[in-house]
Amino acid sequence: MALSENNFKFIQDLAREAAAIVLEPGKEYLVETRLGPIATQSGFKSLDDFIDQLRQNPKTTLFHDQVIDAMTTNETSFFRDFHPFEALRQHILPRIIEQRAPLKRLNIWSAASSTGQEAYTIAMILREHFPKLGDWNVSIVATDLSPTVLAQAKLGLYSQLEVNRGLPAPLLMKYFTKVDAKWAIRDDVKKLVDFRQMNLAKPWPILPLFDIIFIRNVMIYFDVDSKKSILRRIRQCLQPQGTLFLGTAETTMNIDPDWVNLVYGKATVYQVKQPLLNAA
Amino acid sequence: MVNLDELIYRARELKPLPASVVRLAALVSSDEASLDEICDVIAYDQALTLSILRAANSAANGTAQRIKEVHEAVFRLGGARVLSLTISANTSKLLKRDARAYGLNEGELWLHSVAAATAAETLSEFARVSLPPETFTAALLHDVGKLVMSRFLDDNDLEKIHRAQTEGGLDPLAAESEILSVHHGELGGIIAQHWQLPERIVNGIIHHHTPEKGMDVICDAVYLSNIIAKRIDKTPEQAVIEPSADSLERLELKPAKIDAFVESAKRNFEIIKANYNAA
Repeated sequence: MALSENNFKFIQDLAREAAAIVLEPGKEYLVETRLGPIATQSGFKSLDDFIDQLRQNPKTTLFHDQVIDAMTTNETSFFRDFHPFEALRQHILPRIIEQRAPLKRLNIWSAASSTGQEAYTIAMILREHFPKLGDWNVSIVATDLSPTVLAQAKLGLYSQLEVNRGLPAPLLMKYFTKVDAKWAIRDDVKKLVDFRQMNLAKPWPILPLFDIIFIRNVMIYFDVDSKKSILRRIRQCLQPQGTLFLGTAETTMNIDPDWVNLVYGKATVYQVKQPLLNAA
Repeated sequence: MVNLDELIYRARELKPLPASVVRLAALVSSDEASLDEICDVIAYDQALTLSILRAANSAANGTAQRIKEVHEAVFRLGGARVLSLTISANTSKLLKRDARAYGLNEGELWLHSVAAATAAETLSEFARVSLPPETFTAALLHDVGKLVMSRFLDDNDLEKIHRAQTEGGLDPLAAESEILSVHHGELGGIIAQHWQLPERIVNGIIHHHTPEKGMDVICDAVYLSNIIAKRIDKTPEQAVIEPSADSLERLELKPAKIDAFVESAKRNFEIIKANYNAA
């Protein structure tokens, strides 16, 4: 299903406005690939006809959410990039657990959590390596824009392809059970994660102060102003000694000067710059 | 839109491997397996016994005296080669099929698979790191996903993948992933799991283009063997791909040794492919 220049521009604007997704010129094929099946299933003769209908009332039409869902890249995997989770296990969690021991409270946020693999990876690390957190108040908040992926995340049910992506076999055997051709995450791991719908590009709901925030491979899809706005708002909901994880190809440099980076092995993490206590 | 569940169903429709082959793979993969145990599995299967004896007596092994006993054949070939030859004997009919979606005519994917297995065997002499015994088999099977994928995709899917490369600037693997939500390495991993092959073989197949994600040297070994195979199997219009410095470092192979490695793999290919064809 071919796409006119005007209609590509319309989808570009819609994706940017609704979800801060940047569709570069040249991505027409992606719009055709992802929206073509929706147009066909909805009985439209062409993709242009479908987009014309969408154009009539983009905010309220029932196709709006489907379009944003389809244009969102939901690439994710368990232990994605591996090294950040090694830094989390070896350095970040031991330090933060020591700091938070008096209150026995730990808050973690997995932003743009997609189908939940990142949040469940964190939950498995906590279960596997930090048994002393058993009597702590531990919360992993996982948010995403899409109700479709959140529904799948809440189910905690993954295909063989999905568990093959990064999940070590011993953890698969320990924390999942086979249900027909799929794998279901164990309830005691699932209950650690609270999935909520949230659009990073819109005003944020009230969030708790987090000790650790994962917002990885999200900002690469956003323009510079959206990146600045997100980093500023993250500073407001991160504990003063809290840690921010970004994607491998992402950085705060040249976007927001109020961060410092710390390197642990092959992982880089970020903390908010602290004011100098004895400054003259 | 590609139906992933159906694609995986197709992968699982392939004929399972015989129980004796699955047992052999588990033994070779196990640190504790003895030569006796491996021989017991082979001796139990007459066709397998003949294949192993034939391979041990082939010109490639430069034997002066004819080997008649399984024990001696296994000792001479080693567990890693016994496994890859056994898997070859059981999958060659499948691997000899065409994979037209990837521009491969009948027999070409097989030739490339054997070239990769040969490169892996040769790599074990050049890399300073010790390669796991599953490496040759993972190299042999690294592209098995292409066979199922090729029969599943229609012209419309292929055009989208092509556009993702030409218009989106993606490499072939990223284009496959973007359009299909799965790539041929991952599909190959599903097939290897269906065949009940050891986890390291599955991992080596899945990550033969993405060794940095595999977190195991077998992925680097299969990745490099695939690249070198493209230089030696004479598949037309293959661009020379330079291997990643990180993979070479993990394999403890100096870039200066690559040329000698390729030359040695080319020489071995002519000899060793007879073994695989005979197996």
